[in-house]
Amino acid sequence: MTSLLQVRDLSIAFGRKDPVVRGLDLDLAAGQRLGIIGESGSGKTVTALAIMGLLPDNARVTGSIRLDGTELVGLSDRALSRVRGDRMSMIFQEPMTALDPTMTAGRQVAEAFRLHRDRDAGRARTAVLAMLRAVGFDDAERVADSYPHQLSGGQRQRVVTAMALVNRPGLVICDEPTTALDVTVQATVLRVLDEVLEAVGASCLFISHDLAVVSQLCSDVVVMLNGRVVERGTAEQVFTDPRHPYAAGLVATARLDLLEPGTRLPTVADHVRVP
Amino acid sequence: MTALFEVHGLTRVYTTGRRSVVALEDVSLTVEPGQRLGIVGESGSGKSTLVRLMAGLDRPTSGTVHFGGRPVSGVPERQLGFLRASVQFVFQDPRSSLNPRMRVGDVVAEPLRSPLVRRELGALDQRRRVAEVLDAVGLPADAASRYPHEFSGGQRQRIAIARALAPSPQVLIADEAVSALDVSVRAHVLNLLMALVDDLGLTLLFVSHDLAVVRHVCPDAVVLQGGRIVERGPTQRLFTAPEHPYTARLVAAIPTFRARS
Repeated sequence: MTSLLQVRDLSIAFGRKDPVVRGLDLDLAAGQRLGIIGESGSGKTVTALAIMGLLPDNARVTGSIRLDGTELVGLSDRALSRVRGDRMSMIFQEPMTALDPTMTAGRQVAEAFRLHRDRDAGRARTAVLAMLRAVGFDDAERVADSYPHQLSGGQRQRVVTAMALVNRPGLVICDEPTTALDVTVQATVLRVLDEVLEAVGASCLFISHDLAVVSQLCSDVVVMLNGRVVERGTAEQVFTDPRHPYAAGLVATARLDLLEPGTRLPTVADHVRVP
Repeated sequence: MTALFEVHGLTRVYTTGRRSVVALEDVSLTVEPGQRLGIVGESGSGKSTLVRLMAGLDRPTSGTVHFGGRPVSGVPERQLGFLRASVQFVFQDPRSSLNPRMRVGDVVAEPLRSPLVRRELGALDQRRRVAEVLDAVGLPADAASRYPHEFSGGQRQRIAIARALAPSPQVLIADEAVSALDVSVRAHVLNLLMALVDDLGLTLLFVSHDLAVVRHVCPDAVVLQGGRIVERGPTQRLFTAPEHPYTARLVAAIPTFRARS
């Protein structure tokens, strides 16, 4: 199986500080979905931003990130911006960080399309409406003509999903895409994401602190701790038979459903001493 | 047994200009001493409005709140000393609920400095009380002389709990108190909360959008939607046999572990 995304010995440091990601290796095949779990500060988001080329200037990145054969580390901003939005895209936790409040939803999805695909406005409109329908809007025209503030949080995140997938990228990176949403809205957004990733055949790097959500969307999982991968395997293996004690602790703390109500919750410290 | 809280027909309408929003509509409930009651709902359901009214932090448009048989709603602040000492909050984000310029010892002693609370509690050795509650939440004694930013998220939530415990309250209101925490930190804070509630015989109002956490912490719960209580009962029953369609939807939406290949 050839990798769509191949990350080798990736290290990331800011300024003169110690690295926050060290010697990271990742492989993602076409169509594969890999969940990255770990606590805040474990390096999940920084890794995602490094792949997208969105780290600030004071970040020092070493190692290699290859997307379909193209080396991304050291690539110029111009070349990177051609790859971004076309061959890979990202969905963030807060949809308003990705949306321009002064532009209709339809125009924003169209811009993503026209920048990379087809400058013709009519054809862009057709593609935009089709994409909005794909993310579950029956009233795609009305949504396309709405401004972000006229949409709910869940609807905005579906618009962002449409933007991220309209160019049928090979790789979609999701960073806590449903964390800010209500649980019933989250269920809808996850279902939509699952469907469009499948339809487009995109690979996905899915970052979340919610292990149950990861288990629903991803076939494979890596567990990060202090900038390193401490466990990797299929979702089934990691969630049912984790080998690394830290991964075992993390999984145990998340399985509220297996506990007698009112009893003491297991903690990571029961499994391993984390510095 | 007399109820600790009696809430009757509570309604809160917020009006700005010509628009008015009904945040809470005709809510009635009782809370018994020592009860752990979950208040469940999504954003905009009115759960925070409800507990703010119960704590006398806001005035209802109509309806009444009684605490220990004494009226809360419509009573001037200077007569609410009994409530201020007895009912304490732990909020979601300790970064914004703890003053970054105050030392932890001063943060924790803050509720003790209110003249209303002082009148209620009488003479009290503040430094000793601070040391006691820091110890109760598992923080070292020297934490008092440090600043909140020197602590991790989970430790800051312990500081917030210590502050809430300082005036020896009867009731703890946890408003999304573990929602911003990593799962492993959440486990520690929940274990601490449950142990303190047990040891000190506290009454707990646990406000959360997370039904799975509520099931673990609270034997009973009310489910709010659009400002109304749509269902109430033993949490276990709400999970296994919800009667209201909204409760059923909420339960069905909880992400569960499933093996995917």
